[in-house]
Amino acid sequence: MAPVLQASSASQIPHFSPAELSYLYTSLALPDGSIRPDGRSPTQFRPLTAETGILPGASGSARIGFADGTQAIVGIKAEVEKTVLPSDTLDLRQLHLQDQANYAGGDDADGGRERSSATTGQSSWVQMSIEIPGFRDDDALPVFLSEMMRESLVGSAATATGGTDGESRGKFAGLKGRLVINRRWHWRLYLDILLLSPPLSYPLPLLSLTTHLALLSTRLPKLKSKKEEDPLFDDDWNAAEYLYPRPSPAYDSRMGREGPSHQLVRPPVTLLIISAGDNIIFDPSREEIAVADSVLAVSIGREDEDPKANNAKLKLLSIRTIDPPSRLTQPGVPDSENATTLAASTSTTADEVGSQNPSSTAMGSGEEVPGVWRPRRGGVKRSLISRMVKMVLEKGGVGEEVMEGLEGVEVC
Amino acid sequence: MKSLRRDFSSSPQSANVSSKVFVRSTKSGKVQKIVRELYLRQDIPCSSKLCSICYSHAPVDADGVGKDAKNTLVVNNADLQSVVPFILSDRPAGTKAFPGGHYIVPDTNAFLNGMDLFEQPGAFRDVIVLQTVLEELKNQSLPLYNRLLALIKTDENRFYLFFNEFRLETHVRRRPEETINDRNDRAIRTVAKWYREHLHQASRNGKMEKAIPAIVIITDDKENIRKAREENVPALSLLDYVAGLEDSDKLLDMINESKEGKGQRGELFYPEYYSMSKILTGVRAGTLHQGTFNISPYNYLEGSVSVSAFDKPLLVLGRNNGNRAISGDIVVVEVLPKDQWKSPSSKIVDEEAVTRNENPEVEDHEAVVTEREQKALQEEVKKAHGKNAEGKPHPTATVVGIVKRNWRQYVGHVDPASTSSLTKTGRRQQTVFVLPMDKKIPKIRITTRRAADLLGQRILITVDAWERDSRYPAGHVVRSLGEFESKGAEIEALLLEYNVQYKPFPKVVLDCLPSEGHNWAVPANKQDPGWKDRRDLRDRLICSIDPPGCQDIDDALHARPLPNGNFEVGVHIADVSHFVRPGNAMDTEASMRGTTVYLVDKRIDMLPPLLGTDLCSLKPHVERYAFSTIWEITPNAEIISADFTKSVILSREAFSYEQAQLRIDDSTKTDDLTQSMRTLLHLSKVLHQKRMDAGALNLASPEIKIETESELSDPLMDVKTKALLATNSLVEEFMLLANITVASKVYDSFPQTTLLRRHASPPPQNFEGLSTQLQKKRDLKLDVSSSKSLADSLDRCTDPKNPFFNTLIRILATRCMTSAEYFCAGAHAEPEFRHYGLASPIYTHFTSPIRRYADLVVHRQLAAAIGFSTADGLSRRSKLEDICKNLNYRHRNAQFAGRASIEYYVGQALKARGERLAKHDGDGNFGVDEEGYVMRVFENGIVVFVPRFGIEGIVRLEDFMLPGDTVRPTTDARKELALRRDSDFDAEEYTLRVWENGHPEPESSAMFELFERVRVNVSSVKEESVRAVGKRRVRIIVLGKA
Repeated sequence: MAPVLQASSASQIPHFSPAELSYLYTSLALPDGSIRPDGRSPTQFRPLTAETGILPGASGSARIGFADGTQAIVGIKAEVEKTVLPSDTLDLRQLHLQDQANYAGGDDADGGRERSSATTGQSSWVQMSIEIPGFRDDDALPVFLSEMMRESLVGSAATATGGTDGESRGKFAGLKGRLVINRRWHWRLYLDILLLSPPLSYPLPLLSLTTHLALLSTRLPKLKSKKEEDPLFDDDWNAAEYLYPRPSPAYDSRMGREGPSHQLVRPPVTLLIISAGDNIIFDPSREEIAVADSVLAVSIGREDEDPKANNAKLKLLSIRTIDPPSRLTQPGVPDSENATTLAASTSTTADEVGSQNPSSTAMGSGEEVPGVWRPRRGGVKRSLISRMVKMVLEKGGVGEEVMEGLEGVEVC
Repeated sequence: MKSLRRDFSSSPQSANVSSKVFVRSTKSGKVQKIVRELYLRQDIPCSSKLCSICYSHAPVDADGVGKDAKNTLVVNNADLQSVVPFILSDRPAGTKAFPGGHYIVPDTNAFLNGMDLFEQPGAFRDVIVLQTVLEELKNQSLPLYNRLLALIKTDENRFYLFFNEFRLETHVRRRPEETINDRNDRAIRTVAKWYREHLHQASRNGKMEKAIPAIVIITDDKENIRKAREENVPALSLLDYVAGLEDSDKLLDMINESKEGKGQRGELFYPEYYSMSKILTGVRAGTLHQGTFNISPYNYLEGSVSVSAFDKPLLVLGRNNGNRAISGDIVVVEVLPKDQWKSPSSKIVDEEAVTRNENPEVEDHEAVVTEREQKALQEEVKKAHGKNAEGKPHPTATVVGIVKRNWRQYVGHVDPASTSSLTKTGRRQQTVFVLPMDKKIPKIRITTRRAADLLGQRILITVDAWERDSRYPAGHVVRSLGEFESKGAEIEALLLEYNVQYKPFPKVVLDCLPSEGHNWAVPANKQDPGWKDRRDLRDRLICSIDPPGCQDIDDALHARPLPNGNFEVGVHIADVSHFVRPGNAMDTEASMRGTTVYLVDKRIDMLPPLLGTDLCSLKPHVERYAFSTIWEITPNAEIISADFTKSVILSREAFSYEQAQLRIDDSTKTDDLTQSMRTLLHLSKVLHQKRMDAGALNLASPEIKIETESELSDPLMDVKTKALLATNSLVEEFMLLANITVASKVYDSFPQTTLLRRHASPPPQNFEGLSTQLQKKRDLKLDVSSSKSLADSLDRCTDPKNPFFNTLIRILATRCMTSAEYFCAGAHAEPEFRHYGLASPIYTHFTSPIRRYADLVVHRQLAAAIGFSTADGLSRRSKLEDICKNLNYRHRNAQFAGRASIEYYVGQALKARGERLAKHDGDGNFGVDEEGYVMRVFENGIVVFVPRFGIEGIVRLEDFMLPGDTVRPTTDARKELALRRDSDFDAEEYTLRVWENGHPEPESSAMFELFERVRVNVSSVKEESVRAVGKRRVRIIVLGKA
């Protein structure tokens, strides 16, 4: 793992002088609130332009461009595939039975394992490829990014799948559960994520947001066949159904006041959060990441389909720490250790210096000297993490704001 | 967080780019989203001769050939342009509603419901067919789509295909939440509006004083009509429009019966079909089966479906299980549980007999299975649960879905019983039943205003639909063929019924003929390209032997001794491929016709007569091109070598079989020609023996022929069974030899694409029935293990007292076999090439290219194989397989048509005789007493075969003359007799005993058994209140044992 992490962060090694790093860090870590280089508030995101449905031939697609000029395009393609079951012997009689609509329960006899894998989906049904200019596809950065995003996409089922009784399956099963057509057929989803320019900052938020939008706009042909029959689809694309149901206009008007229409199932989105001192900063820019104490990728999503349920809260899907690039920066040298300044001082302190020197070299940056850059050592306080999570998940928090913002993008 | 969306509406390109998005499901199960970009243009013409705007910038033909000579519009640079001529008339016809003339814009349903109307010459003119409509039609019905395309191609009706989707002004983008149908309706209205405005503008520009025609939408969609009215576009339903035309009664009858939106009313008689996906899943999983639905000719309630999963066909009993399938449809069936299995029926059940008194108008009270039908079925079940080996219950199935309807146009006539007497004179619309000529087709309900006119006529009808709430399919009249029994109507009916293309050859075909016409001759100069690679065989003593009066002489023969004691034998076949070039109109027409169809007094040619009876025909004393096969044969008929060459021959004589026989038998003749014929005869006998030894079957079909020359004599005397002379066999043997030799030669060169003919070995279970019958009745064994053993066992099937018995068994055995078929060599493995009947490992048709298209193809292949020509166009297997499929179909139909024609002729001859006798003797029963043989025994009748006329017929209980009866049963007494008769059927012994009610004593009852020879009286009677009302039927009365 270590080389991977190192490579991923190494690629991000900022080329700042220790003095610059120190200046940046100090202003971000100010105890009474960060001052960000671009003047944003800690929870403010950079402005972006977004659109969906840009690739007419794909099932779903999106493009997001950050103001700094980095852009990402995500195209999603769905294919029908036969589910390979341990025992692929479907008796058609069963099919008839199921037609009687009394399918719930009853036939647990034929192997719960087979059933659960067929109804909850398999994570291999979601395939993701990330292309970043300047990187080979087996380079650490794309591999790491894709694993991180895929994890939140397909892994959510494991955490969210509570009960597997027929009624609720598919609702709690996450993306892969949505891909189940019936026990013998499923959709396979290919997510092609393309970063259009070399990354200026860590591209995870951009890619994640674009993927989220693309998934929102993804539509699958409407199924005409019933239940366990071989799937047959409506050839009218306008009839195709959204992978993640859109708020219906009727629902909007009815529920408009009580709860925002976006409280529907939403694909996960991964946010990048850094800490500097005790301050928490969202959507960090390149410079901010360069000095961060810790960098966390927090994935959230909403998997509750019942629009009326008020507890339709955002769910934390995963937290990953990302090796902060600041670890690898060159430290600044305090005056006390600087040879040029040292030479100016008296020899009487030579002993002190001599006694101090070994300790300071051994400790690296044993103590903070204000205004002198020390590479961060990583590590983040427990309380800080819980604060971060709270800021993301709380009502009206950053998570909701992001979801709302993405919802505002017209999906076509 | 801000989000922005790019706005496309500002893009200058967006106006003329559009796209069409749909989902495509491929056969392999892939589902794809397809996006087609459309680039809209403005130069697609409106094609109205009123319009000068379009003409000036309409796209120019790619070929640059000016076709606008007809066009009266003068355009400045007309000589540079070659615009496709405009179609829509500048003076379109008007109707009452649109006196200023009008153009019609029909929607898809108008074509779906009224294609026959549109095809009616002169009824609909100046029709704008929209691309939208055409595409929708293609999705809904491919046959109708093809018919519409054909209509657009013909000039006289002025149908213009307008590519509205590609024209900027008429392209319609689908709105969100708009259904495809609504969008298409809107597209039609948009076109109508555009046309109107466009023509207005054109007329302003062109200072024309002519009236602008109205643009009339024809649609049956009420919503569409309403919206059109709102938008001030004239719109009418098809019905309303047609009602405003002349001759509307006739036209109205042609509108499709199935009205959309007709709410489900009344009871649903039939179960719903499974959904397409369920059917597909089931067929793939092997729980449902697909096959062609066939109705038994003896029992209209019994159908069968041959499926690939089982050797024997599955039975489909009763209408309910048949579930609206019509004989010929490709259906999907589900096997019924074992307790519903039944044995095939042993009873003759005729639809009209059982359902005679139904009223077509009233439908609310009818059940799918009427009580009487139910009873008939129950009786069978009783029998099925019986005892004997043959009566073992067979698996039954029920139709759960229809994959493909194979409905065609049917010939039939109106059931007079179904017309109400009150309206016989009026013009009121009424619903009547039509009884199709083909007994396997159920009666069809049609709505007509001309019931009175149609009575007693042969009519052509189309089936439109069979809904769940209707007991019988609904259809409409296409046209009337004419009076019953008028020769024209009957022959046309027959040709239509068997789908024989009988229209005269179109001009494009005749244009392919040599320009010299009958004066064409083999060029005298040998340097002529026609002589290239041709061998000069004019010195050989060639003659042809054919049936008397044969005009299309395909083949000629010669034999001459060689110095080494062997013989050179040549078979010369008309070189049709010289005249019919692959791919031209004549070739296409011939390939479509497939074969020449021989009716009793009519021949429907495959090739224009100029070729068939003159230029290709190997007439005597004329030099002709030929394709020759020349063997060196030892006196023991061993083939030393074979050679193939194109040649020029000069036939010395055209013999009839009889003349040839006489010449050979005449010992005074010793000229070389006679000698060579004797050689041929001798060799043919050896060849024949060899073939028989190899296991060739001597098959028999009830063949009779009719010589129509003698006009004075009794027409019945013209009916002759085919006499077999040794010379018949002479020709046949050498043709077989030629076919086999050519087959292996071509196969060597084209192992994948040779057109061959095979006769699959029949599965032994086909013979089961016949085998048991023989065993039981005659203690004879039928060994079907190979063709040789079958041939031998057939030879043993003789009855010294009954010389015809052997032939009868051969006829029955032939029916157990599969039919021979053309195929493409790549389609089967080599062992499967075998021709079972001829016991040849490989076979094809080479010797009759004038009358069979297959032979023409083989000629081309052989020519390529010997390096005479290139193999262009012969190498595509898929194309050849299509050809084979068509040929097999056409051949079968040609045979059926020929037989039906003979049957008709015999019936007419019998009728003539009856009428003549009636003049002399007053009333009575006038028939011919003949010998007949019992072919099948049913519970309520027997099937008798009368070899003299080659006909077989059902004899019902009332048609038996019982011992004690003195008078032959008359037609009038039938109904009454039918009720009085009683019978006892022994399925194990194949016997039927008939007696009068209450007199079952053996002495007053008649007993008949299978294969028995009986005396019968054959006459032609007018049927009453049955399927063939007013139509004649050959009636057979069994007089007693012979």
